[in-house]
Formats: sequence, C-alpha cells, structure tokens
Amino acid sequence: MASVKIPEQKVILCGEYGVGKSSLFRRFAFNLFIPSSSKQSTLGLDHFNKEYKVGDRAIKLQLWDTGGMERVASITSSYYKFAEAAILVFSLDNAASFHVLSQHLLDIVTYAENAKIFLCGNKQDLEGSVPQVSTTDMESFCEQCHSLISATYKTSCKTGEGIEDMFLDVAHHLIESNQSRFQLQNFKRGSIKIHKFNEETNAESCSC
Amino acid sequence: MDEEYDAVVLGTGLKECILSGMLSVSGKKVLHIDRNKYYGGESASITPLQDLFERFKAPPPDETIYCKGRDWNVDLIPKFLMANGSLVKLLIKTGVTRYLEFKSVEGSYVYKSGKIYKVPVDQKEALASDLMGMFEKRRFRNFLVFVQDFDENDPRTWKDIDPKRTTIQELYDKFGLDKNTQDFTGHALALYRDDDYLNTLATETIERIKLYSDSLARYGKSPYLYPLYGLGELPQGFARLSAIYGGTYMLDKPVDEIVLEGNKVMGVRSGSEVVRCKQVYCDPSYVTDRVKKTGQVIRCICLLDHPIPNIKDALSCQIIIPQKQVNRKSDIYVSQVSYTHQVAAKGWFIAMVSTTVETCDPENEIKPGIDLLGRIKQKFVTVSDYYEPINDGTESQIFISSSYDATTHFGTTCDDVLDIFLRGTGEHFDFSKVKLEGGDEEP
Repeated sequence: MASVKIPEQKVILCGEYGVGKSSLFRRFAFNLFIPSSSKQSTLGLDHFNKEYKVGDRAIKLQLWDTGGMERVASITSSYYKFAEAAILVFSLDNAASFHVLSQHLLDIVTYAENAKIFLCGNKQDLEGSVPQVSTTDMESFCEQCHSLISATYKTSCKTGEGIEDMFLDVAHHLIESNQSRFQLQNFKRGSIKIHKFNEETNAESCSC
Repeated sequence: MDEEYDAVVLGTGLKECILSGMLSVSGKKVLHIDRNKYYGGESASITPLQDLFERFKAPPPDETIYCKGRDWNVDLIPKFLMANGSLVKLLIKTGVTRYLEFKSVEGSYVYKSGKIYKVPVDQKEALASDLMGMFEKRRFRNFLVFVQDFDENDPRTWKDIDPKRTTIQELYDKFGLDKNTQDFTGHALALYRDDDYLNTLATETIERIKLYSDSLARYGKSPYLYPLYGLGELPQGFARLSAIYGGTYMLDKPVDEIVLEGNKVMGVRSGSEVVRCKQVYCDPSYVTDRVKKTGQVIRCICLLDHPIPNIKDALSCQIIIPQKQVNRKSDIYVSQVSYTHQVAAKGWFIAMVSTTVETCDPENEIKPGIDLLGRIKQKFVTVSDYYEPINDGTESQIFISSSYDATTHFGTTCDDVLDIFLRGTGEHFDFSKVKLEGGDEEP
C-alpha cells in the first residue's frame, strides 16, 4: 500500500457522439490514436488514473469516458456523481457539436454541481483555414455561461497536439482551487469502496 | 433501430440492468430500452423531491422546509446489501463496484413486545443482550458457537445432527431455544420472511446465519451496506457496464408490442418500428399477459426530520418485526437512511416500512412499524402487486423477472437474475470475461 495517498480527482468527458471523447481518453491513457476507419465505437473504455505534478504537489486525474451512452442521450446521472471536473468536448470541424453544448453544460451543473468545467475544441487538425467554430465563438460561449468555464483548449488527438498541456492545466486548476475543499470532503464522507475480498485474491492487494 | 440484436432488454430496473451487463460482457449484441426517461424503473431513486411528491399526487414540497429538491434521492423499493452477500460478490466480480461508494448501515435491530433491541450475533453480544433471560442467553450462546463451528464437510462439527435430515426446528429444540429466541434467530439473523422455514433443513438456516455474521465481520456495525445517492445507482452501474461492452441504450422509448413468430419472439415494436431480436428479457410490466399476480407488497416511504427514536441517533438502521410479535404470517421491515447517504437534505431522514400484504387493510398491517418512527413529516404509501412469470421462457425466448419482494436485502434479487441468465443462455455467467480497458484496479 502506498504510504501517502494522492488524492484522485474524477474528471468526466462530456459532449456529442463522435467529437473524439474516446480519442482524448486513449491519448490520456495510452498515448494512442486509432483512426476512425478502424474504430467501431466506444468499447471497454471506462476510466484511467494518471498522476500529475504541479510544483511540489501531486494529483491523480481519474479520467472517465461516457461508454458511448450519449449516442441516444441516455447517460446515467451516476456518471456525473463525484466529478471534480468536466471537460466539454466539441469538434472544431462541426459547428452543431458546439451549439449543443449548452445542454451538456446544463446536465453538468445539475448532476455535478461542484465540478469545474473546461471547454475543449478537438480535431484541430481538421480546422482548416475557415474554421467552423472560431476562437471568438468559444469566447462568447464562455461569456454567456457567466464564467462557469474555467479554461478553454484546442486539441488534436490525431497529432497529439495540446492534449498533455490541457490535462496538466486541468490538474493545475484542481490543485489550486480544490485542495482544501476535497480534503474536507474526504474527511466528511467516510464512505467505503468495496474491493476484492482477501480470501479471493491475496496476490495483489494494492489498488493504486 | 433497423439492426438485429441478440437480445432486447426492456426496463432498466436492477434485475434487467444486471442481465444486460452480463449479456453484453458475454459478447451478445444488446439493445436496452426503457419507456421512462430515467434509469431504474421500479428500483429507481427519485430525484428531485418534487418528482416524488408529484408521483404520489401530493402538493409540491416547500423548499423552505425540505431544502433543495436535488438533494433528495428517494428509493421506491428499500433494500440493503449484505456485505458478504451475492449482490456484493456480483458487483466485485463485474467491476461495477468501481462506480459506487457505500456506507455501512449503523445498526440492526429486532422488535420484541413493543420495544426494539440490538440484534446480537456473537457470543459476547448474546450474553450482554437484554433480549433474553439469563438461562436462555447461555442456550443461545451455545447455539451460536455450534453454528459458527459447523462445517457441512466435517462430520466432527455436526455433533449428533444429520445435515441431510435434521430440520431447523429440531435443531432449535436440541439446544432448547424458546419461541422468542427462535423467532429472532429465524427472522432477524437468518432473514426468513415467514415461518415456513421451520421444516426445512437446518443447514440452510445455518448458512444464512453465517452469511449474516460474516457480513457483519466485514465492516463492523451491521451486516448491511447502502450506496451513496441511493439504490438507483446500482442499475446505472450495471447499465454502464453493459454500454462499455457495446450495449445500446434508449430511454423514453415506448414499447408497444412483443412480436412473435409462431410461439417464439422475433422482435419488439415501438410505434411503427420493429427491431428484430432473438430473445427478450424484461420486467413484468412489459408483458402483462405472461405473468401472474401472486401477492402484494405494501411499502411506506416516510420523511422524518429526526432519526427513529431508540436507535441511539443512528443515521441508518434496520428494524425487523418478526411476524409472531404482531400476530402475522410475514415480517414487517423498517429501514432508515439519511442525509449522510446523499439521499436527503441536511438533517433529514427517510424511513421505509414494508411487508407482504395479508389482509384487505394493508395500511393497518404496517402500523406497528409506523408507530416506531415518531413524528412523520410526510408519508407516501404504495401497494404493489407481486408478479411472477407464468413459464420459464425457454419456448418463447421471453425471459421475465419477478417483481421485487418485501425482503430487505438483495439475496432473492440475485437468485432470480442468475437463474434467468442460465435459462436464457444455457450457461452460468463467466466472470473471467469482464475485462475493462482503462481501469487501473486490475493490473
């Protein structure tokens, strides 16, 4: 068992089907990109922990993928529970995926009211010279949301551009603002995670 | 919807979601539909509080009293998880436990002659309990020691009982336990709902008592666990498992007909669309002509602004009222959860009283339970029919779950699910097929 427990922060990906949430997840978890031609749909992607260091503080981002449930608008409210951060993802080559974000934002503030919210324009490599969604559009969206959005990013899962920077920055935000709050919460919550029973596995008891 | 599926699952209650998860993990192509726009069907936790009041046609709750409606997640069917029981094992083996957080229920009580007592489970508690007289305590203690040591495979632990023949009544008599002690052993420890068990093999009751004490040993104060945000989190967890393995989810989708070809199912119709499938798995509400009513369950949801009296201000508890104590055939169950489980606003408690209906005045039947609660702010009563499928579904390939019974834990729920899975696929579920990409729990 680890001697000092590094706090895990649940980060969820939200946005329309096909904007590249699972690709962001794969980049985050395995630094892999699978082109759409050889990809069926989201299968077997759940969540993944990764440690970030900001100064002398360490934090574990626990990134969650939707599991494809957004396809027919049937994400469970459980998905949002305990989330400390939510990344709203849209595709820079698809204006519709941007305009529908207010609905996703509403879900986040309803089910994960304490989560910090970030905006991510993905598929930067497909942006082209006349972008479907401009930086100005992103800025005015943030203004309309009364500064609910903590930061905005542009990424490309294909080239890997901007992705590590984004997660590092999210980690930074969470460390800065949440430190005292989540310590208090963990202390108050006192709940149990049930794990494998000892008699069933004695080989690997370490879970982190 | 114009694809063909191996299985269409109707209803997102806990049983259907577990089945959907197991089918998807087993490589089946699954479409999961619910006519409601929320997950959980009958086993949902209702939020916000306004929706609960609306459901029972009560005037909307006053936010100055009940605080924010979103702070509430009220279960329609109260149950707890046995810490060492089959549902927890299923959660662990499928990895669904990663989506949930639990709290241990703080106390387990039993009712005797109008008062409630802590349920004694080990020798020390048995000797300290004022539930029994001095001499009875010693007899009960000897009984517990025997139960703990008993091993069906080791004849030396049998003393002189015959595991294949001795009934539990004979075992009680052998230890000289009086009727009161038999009552709370059978009902508060072994969790039998009525006295039919007295003529069954002693070994079954011994197993149940062991499950209770093993569960208690796991997390302390009681053998029960309860998930944060309510029981509605359980079906959602299994739904996520199913989705991650390729299951498709559709909420808010009416189901108009199950289409047959001969005697066998060939599809499900919603409006003018028919989706083809080889099998259907569903709860009784989707197939009213293929189920029979075998009883009724009454459940009463009570909102309290204080904990139940006489449980030492516990934030959660279970109280069992054994049938004989109140001249009934089946037990009355009382459970309490609270704001500490994120199911109620700060300072609020949700108590549930439930039992199997025996008379034409069910509300009067649960009175002994209601009387334990103290002042009640708001009360919602439901009497629901209990349905069972009329056949095992192998001919029609329509596999129907039974309604949720009055029991307070999920033992019977898991039995039903595992049995349906076996009938539907012809095999037991292979847990080794669960391999989630990305999770870091299993290196």
